[in-house]
Amino acid sequence: MNKKQLKFIIGSVVIVAAIGYLVITGISKTSVYYLTVDELLSRGDSVFGEGVRVEGKVLDGSIKKDPSGLKVDFRITDGKKDIAVHYEGIIPDLFVDGRDVVVEGKYRREGIFTAHTLLTSCPSKYESAGKDHPQEVKKI
Amino acid sequence: MNEIGELCILLSLGISIYSFIVPILGVKKKKGELIASAENSIFTILGLISISSFILIYAFLIRDFSVEYVSSYSNRDLSTFYTISAFWAGQKGSLLFWTWLLSIFGAVVVIQNRKKNRELMPYVLSTISLTLCLFLALMVFVARPFGLIYPPEDGHGLNPMLQNPGMVFHPPTLYIGYVGFTIPFAFAMASLLTGQLGDVWIKTTRRWTIFSWFFLGMGNLLGAWWAYRVLGWGGYWAWDPVENASFMPWLTGTAYLHSVMIQERRGMLKVWNMVLIVMTFCLTIFGTFLTRSGIVQSVHSFGESTVGYYFLAFLIVTIIFSSYLIISKLSLLKSNNELDSIVSRESSFLFNNLILVGAAFATFWGTMFPVISETIRGEKITVGPPFFNQVNIPIGLALLLLAGICPLISWKRASINNLKRNFLTPFLVSIICGIALIPIGIGHIFAWFSFTISIFVLTTILMEFHRSAKTRRETTGEGFVKALITLFRKNKRRYGGYIIHIGVVLMYIGITGTSYNIEKEATLKNGESMSIGNYKLIYRGLNYKEPVPTKAEVIATMDVEKNGKIIVTALPKKDFYKTSEEPISRVYNLSGLKEDLYIILAGFPIPFQKDSPATFKIHVNPLVKWLWIGGIVLGIGTFIAMLPDWKEKK
Repeated sequence: MNKKQLKFIIGSVVIVAAIGYLVITGISKTSVYYLTVDELLSRGDSVFGEGVRVEGKVLDGSIKKDPSGLKVDFRITDGKKDIAVHYEGIIPDLFVDGRDVVVEGKYRREGIFTAHTLLTSCPSKYESAGKDHPQEVKKI
Repeated sequence: MNEIGELCILLSLGISIYSFIVPILGVKKKKGELIASAENSIFTILGLISISSFILIYAFLIRDFSVEYVSSYSNRDLSTFYTISAFWAGQKGSLLFWTWLLSIFGAVVVIQNRKKNRELMPYVLSTISLTLCLFLALMVFVARPFGLIYPPEDGHGLNPMLQNPGMVFHPPTLYIGYVGFTIPFAFAMASLLTGQLGDVWIKTTRRWTIFSWFFLGMGNLLGAWWAYRVLGWGGYWAWDPVENASFMPWLTGTAYLHSVMIQERRGMLKVWNMVLIVMTFCLTIFGTFLTRSGIVQSVHSFGESTVGYYFLAFLIVTIIFSSYLIISKLSLLKSNNELDSIVSRESSFLFNNLILVGAAFATFWGTMFPVISETIRGEKITVGPPFFNQVNIPIGLALLLLAGICPLISWKRASINNLKRNFLTPFLVSIICGIALIPIGIGHIFAWFSFTISIFVLTTILMEFHRSAKTRRETTGEGFVKALITLFRKNKRRYGGYIIHIGVVLMYIGITGTSYNIEKEATLKNGESMSIGNYKLIYRGLNYKEPVPTKAEVIATMDVEKNGKIIVTALPKKDFYKTSEEPISRVYNLSGLKEDLYIILAGFPIPFQKDSPATFKIHVNPLVKWLWIGGIVLGIGTFIAMLPDWKEKK
């Protein structure tokens, strides 16, 4: 290998290493656990105070909105267990009973999940209505 | 009618299998008529798929709800415009639309190459046909666009969020980009299979590549614009898996677009170009797989379906087959030249390529991390926008800098003179502006870099325009403007490229504005006010309207004051559609070159009175408009770069 090529190899290695470094530190600094309600509860004490994402369904009839429209208490469930969630911020339009949601925040010892982010995932976004409307159509 | 549509798809599948096998047989047996018949069968497929598509559109227009797809995506109240767009709104229709595009592109390729590239064409046809096979097979066996049901009274209707012009054009634009990359890929495969590994395939597909790259980028930008205007969260890009899925092929496509210039000019980077086009094509398929499999959570997913796994299988086969081909032809892909100096056009392009591919890799890793971590450690770990921003911002800045350097640095080895002539003034200008910008840079170091480097790049380009036009004026005596126009006309690719770079810089400026976003939430009583940035907003109550029978609107009135004067009355609202349980917030956006004032009516008590209190979320987003302006400039540049050269015509 000649000297010229060596320079390029060093240059390329530097770029690749820099990107690798960015990716690795990025992951370690920003990653959060993505759990179901059951997984969250089964993690025991280790989960308190740590930033996590939890997915679940909004328990029917559990939504209690503050008159200000900027706070809401509700429960999310995985079908078996459920937890209380407290969220402050703008409530998404799609937030209703039974909706699949993802909350991001911390689970407190008192058994309340304080969420700073509330995402309503709508798996049938392109498929309007679909899920929410009673299936009026029958396959022949 | 619908049976005819279905039959056409079935026939097309048969014909595409034929046009996949026959060209290869034709080459083996040296029978030209077999190849010609395969070429004609592409036209037959185009004809049949066009019939299918028109039948589906017709079924939408006559509200034939016995077609399951029609009843899922439209209803009687939907306007004609959106009814036609429902054609590509869902899984099945978009597969048909995709097939249609690919058969159109295939037919164009056949016409373009009637008298050229005769040795490559059989394999190009086979590759295109095989891709067609995949889509057609899906429509025959898995997702039938003409599947029938017992017709309901009315259809489900199109999701109100999709009833927006941005959404009508976003998917087809993106699909054109996705599908378009099949063509350069097919030519790459053909050159590998024939061993004709010169620049022919690259030159032949140059316009196809720019065309696809442009549409892919514009598709993303339209999606961003739609999200900004319609979704009402104040931003336009969320690093959602599906956004990433179309961003990755765009990155590798950009790398490919640049590195082919090195091969054309210096006969280098041949293996790399092959790898890049294969990677780009694979990423388009991968993106389709992500969108349609439900493997990662995303706002865009079509819902879980088995369709995705067919794409995964196709993807794996493509990767294995093309890797095998590249490796087996390595000896033919030798570089004609060596890299001479690290300070040269070649090397700056090489680094630009590495960084672009690195960005694609980082994005890929972040997108797939939940899946990877679950597979390896059994725990699902996600990374969100902070990861992508943290990684891609420094990468993006390095790229921006290279966008200034690459086009002007000399080939082979840059002399001190070349460097001085092209970069000394821009460097000084950007340093001076950088110092002036320090006050806004405090606490926003990346934003400061972005603005400073943007100034550097703009200066290099404008100086180059000025210098070349001046030289031409001196030699020909033309006026300055005329000289510049002639330069553009004579070097469309090069000057189009400069304009594209200007567009990119403007987009960077728009994106950098995000660093200075402010947002505020408040619940206001009638007559109460709030301030944000330089604005004072006074809430003036709610109104109810029913503009059409299918939709009710709740409109908040807000006076917007700036410097003590009312400049506009903002009307953010919420729409309530008959077909949908949830309301949809309609943003009021006062957009200017300096900043956008973005007002969302977030909530109000139900039932409400005219003077009920209401909750608002307000954003002040500086410079966003430059992102859209940059996109338009980029479009103009692409158009210039794609215009035919007069020389070629002679």
